[in-house]
Amino acid sequence: MIIILPTITSGEKSFISENLGRANFFYVYDTEKSIGEVYTNKNLEQPHGVGIKTAEFILNHRADVLITPRIGDKSLDLLKGKVKIFKSTNKIVKENISSYLNGELEELI
Amino acid sequence: MKIAVLSGKGGTGKTLVSVNLAYTINNSAYLDCDVEEPNGELFFKGDYQVANVEVDIPLIDHDKCILCGKCSDFCRFNALALIIDKVRVFPQLCHSCGGCKIVCPVGAISEKKKIVGVIKELDYQGHKIITGEMNIKEESGVKIIEKIIEKSKEIKNHVIIDCPPGNGCSVMASIRESDYCVLVAEPTVFGLHNLQMVYELSKVFNKKTGIVINKASGNQIINTYALDNKIEILAEIPFDKKLSYSNSMGEIITKDEKYFSVFEQLSKKIIGDNI
Amino acid sequence: MRKLLILSGKGGTGKTTLASNFINFSQARVFADCDVEAPNLHLISMVKNVKNRENYYGLDKSFINQDICINCGLCKDSCKFNAISFENNQYTIVKNLCEGCGVCNYVCPVKAIDFVKSIDGEIMLYEEDKIFSTAKLNMGSGNSGLLVTKVKQQIQDYIKPNDFVIYDGPPGIGCPVIASMSGVDLILLVAEPSKSGISDLKRIIKTANSFKLKIAVCINKYDLNKELTKEIIDFVHTNKYDFVGKIGYHDEIIKSINEGRFLSNNSMAYKEVKKVFDNTIKLIL
Repeated sequence: MIIILPTITSGEKSFISENLGRANFFYVYDTEKSIGEVYTNKNLEQPHGVGIKTAEFILNHRADVLITPRIGDKSLDLLKGKVKIFKSTNKIVKENISSYLNGELEELI
Repeated sequence: MKIAVLSGKGGTGKTLVSVNLAYTINNSAYLDCDVEEPNGELFFKGDYQVANVEVDIPLIDHDKCILCGKCSDFCRFNALALIIDKVRVFPQLCHSCGGCKIVCPVGAISEKKKIVGVIKELDYQGHKIITGEMNIKEESGVKIIEKIIEKSKEIKNHVIIDCPPGNGCSVMASIRESDYCVLVAEPTVFGLHNLQMVYELSKVFNKKTGIVINKASGNQIINTYALDNKIEILAEIPFDKKLSYSNSMGEIITKDEKYFSVFEQLSKKIIGDNI
Repeated sequence: MRKLLILSGKGGTGKTTLASNFINFSQARVFADCDVEAPNLHLISMVKNVKNRENYYGLDKSFINQDICINCGLCKDSCKFNAISFENNQYTIVKNLCEGCGVCNYVCPVKAIDFVKSIDGEIMLYEEDKIFSTAKLNMGSGNSGLLVTKVKQQIQDYIKPNDFVIYDGPPGIGCPVIASMSGVDLILLVAEPSKSGISDLKRIIKTANSFKLKIAVCINKYDLNKELTKEIIDFVHTNKYDFVGKIGYHDEIIKSINEGRFLSNNSMAYKEVKKVFDNTIKLIL
């Protein structure tokens, strides 16, 4: 299973970004391999439609789960039914992932 | 003459001034270009004739599409996305530039119409009223404003344009065709700051300009600025609870003699004695 | 940390006045003006020392290189925004009209059209004992969620765990408003008792609801129309939002703005604004 989280700094010890589309990085975690990869958000400076590019990124990484504090209309429209969306907590990436795996996170939508 | 009524910010009395200016000038037309939050209709009540405003958006022929991604790479507004095995269109982000259609190597993109809002017309006691309304979720009302302005070109009488707030592209679209800019400002530090912004804009377009002070309180801050920049003060509308109440209820205040004369003088200053 | 966003839908309802006095009451150390089209908070924020100032770039615009141009006119024919003019035997881009779509660049047979950076505004960070972030969008640059996000991002690193942060929001319901909503704990809506004020209030609530954000409502200039004030209060209660108080029309409010100071603490205006503040704070603690 692939889990994606928007993050402020790179790595599993980062806090979660307040924004999804304008997060500095994305953390893509593969539960089967127990490997996390960091991607720089290339769309950070796009003035328009950043939500769409973000959804494109998430879907093209074949994510199953997205953990984020909020999500805009445009991303949601694309991700609905394809990716499960959970509300992140104020903890770091690693802890958010284990909370999710323990069934402790709340579904955002 | 086409008169644009502007203010740097909402809530300064732009609609109050334009509605009553239009009501005072015989047979004039009133255009509400504040299509994001149109309020002119609350004053000129009646059965409006409604027509849709449409723009072109891309239509993808998925059978022809070879998923090359050129359209989504080209689109600077991110209105197209190639997701796994399908190109998706996001109409509210589309600026109708037509680029995707041009770059598609297999001719899979054509154009279709999309409704972005409406334009409404009414004859109100000899006045032509034209307003527009942008659909919620759209990002820009410029197309609707252009339609309103286009309609007004047939009008021979004086035209009053109630502009959107701010100094963005939609304001520019509304004042481009006007002959005169009326700047509405409140006599506060904020009001002055917003006035400076919008005055700059009228200067860019080289328009004749005058100021109406709303909620005049005796504070001379706007008057001093006007004097320094050689801008005429056209009128001062004092703050008055009764006026404010009537206006908040959507009443045309110049139906009351007391306020009529203020606006009559204002009109004469702009267009001369023949109102 | 707790983050409060003040919004109104309609402009001119008193958002900034409220924000500045809230800053005073709460002794907030970090705050931002997200109304990038018509920023006003800097006029009364009392933080004057500019620490950083940088340009904000929007979408690149097109530019025709006259040395290469062969005057074929294809660009002008393809531009849907009428942004290319032909005068004195020269094709040029009308900057105000160019939306930066790139169609002309693409169709040009001799590659005479490039993109150039376009400065769409400026972003500022003020620092004294307080940190204040603000920006100014240039004329005709339209609205920008990106700039609002930048205004908020540049103070992120200054926020400490027990800080109370205040954002003065932009008017309207569009993209900048949505950008201002990210990460906040509570939205305080400043409503005005007029027909137009009510319709704008309802539109902004719809937007906030789509992000499941907590909403509180107060009314400014309530005494200008008591019937509509009642209508708003009923609406707020029916929909189970928190109503945090009403503020009358006071000369003191205008005076304080003009003198660039906070409300004087023996005035009625002060008492009313303070009450709204106290009720708001309770919801966010």
